[in-house]
Amino acid sequence: MKRDKNRIFYQCLALLVPFMTLLSPTWLSISGVGPRWAELWLLPWALEEGPVAGIFAGFCLGLVLDGINLDGSTQIPALIFLGYWWGCLGSKSRYSEKSFVLGILILSGSFLSGFSIWLQQIFQVHGSFFNAWALHNVLAGSIVSGLIAPLLCSLSLNSFFRGKG
Amino acid sequence: MLNTRRKVAFRWWSRKSFWYLFFLSIFLLFIRFSKGAFLLDVFAIFSRPFWPGTAQKEWIVNGINLEQQIRIDLLEKDNQRLREILKLQNSSTKSQVSAAVISRRSRDFWQQLELNKGAKDGINEGDAVLGPGGLLGLIETVTYTTSRVRLLTAPSTKLGVWIERSKVHGVLTGVGTNRPQLNFLEKMPDAKLGDIISTSPVSTLMPPNLPVGVIQSIDDQNLPSPYAIVQLIASPEAIDWVQVQTSNEKR
Repeated sequence: MKRDKNRIFYQCLALLVPFMTLLSPTWLSISGVGPRWAELWLLPWALEEGPVAGIFAGFCLGLVLDGINLDGSTQIPALIFLGYWWGCLGSKSRYSEKSFVLGILILSGSFLSGFSIWLQQIFQVHGSFFNAWALHNVLAGSIVSGLIAPLLCSLSLNSFFRGKG
Repeated sequence: MLNTRRKVAFRWWSRKSFWYLFFLSIFLLFIRFSKGAFLLDVFAIFSRPFWPGTAQKEWIVNGINLEQQIRIDLLEKDNQRLREILKLQNSSTKSQVSAAVISRRSRDFWQQLELNKGAKDGINEGDAVLGPGGLLGLIETVTYTTSRVRLLTAPSTKLGVWIERSKVHGVLTGVGTNRPQLNFLEKMPDAKLGDIISTSPVSTLMPPNLPVGVIQSIDDQNLPSPYAIVQLIASPEAIDWVQVQTSNEKR
């Protein structure tokens, strides 16, 4: 019963993803590139709820983020893939409890999604985009998300899903 | 009496959770294709207490020298008369709306600003957005109370500009970095370091002669056409208030 309440509350917390993306606090960014909030919300959800819920959540988050970003690239495929991957990891193994592993998962996940945006910008937008700017964006985004992931994800896992009650 | 109907039947459409997820998806699709219409209005309401104050706006308004203003007015009237003869886009029939920046993302993959004025205040897609110093970007999408600015530095932003000194035309293309790239249309452009570029006066889309930036470096060996790197005059990182030039007539 309490677990169900916590799940609904965590779903409502997903509203914070577009709001934090819009706010993009400058003190939490590497030279202007902030953390990827969608991945930070998606990881605990997918680990606990499995691949199907992870895919659906990734799809929803991708829709919202595409709505508040400029046209030209989409995050939906990367987020769907990450939801599936993390969902499978969570149902198979328990090594997602270590906060260091959470950091590594977020680091590689945000690198993948950043890389997918980079690829789309190469193919869809005119001009050559093998430049330092795109690499800088991908690396800065994944590093800053990976740094705060052990704190945020283990906090949300413990308080919303692992609570003994 | 034979009752063929089962007592309990599984119907996927009678499950509550299916309809919950279905309508959630429809709602999110609406947000996606309206480019965040409902969501951004909610964000504007919530972030209202944190909008930047009026100090910078007053500074901009008071900083205008009165004598220069009178001279500009006279020159603009003259310019407007000449432009009407040539049937070109006119800058003086447009009015300016000042708007606060409520979300600033000038460095990520998407280089954009969100403003607190929208369709309610007469802002349309494609309007020019000015900061102190010069052109910042163009309005990309508009909701009822907010609007989104595509900065000049964003990839795939294209703008017709010219160098006022030598009358050389070019296309200013955003490449993601802080300094956009000016692609010349000629093989041997007459451009020097420090030249000031402004929006092209023959453009039918943009208001003419808005200052944009200063040429910082030129690569004239590049094929197929030479290019220059431009330092923008207005810096989106430091600006809380912008002016939007709204066009009165529908394009």
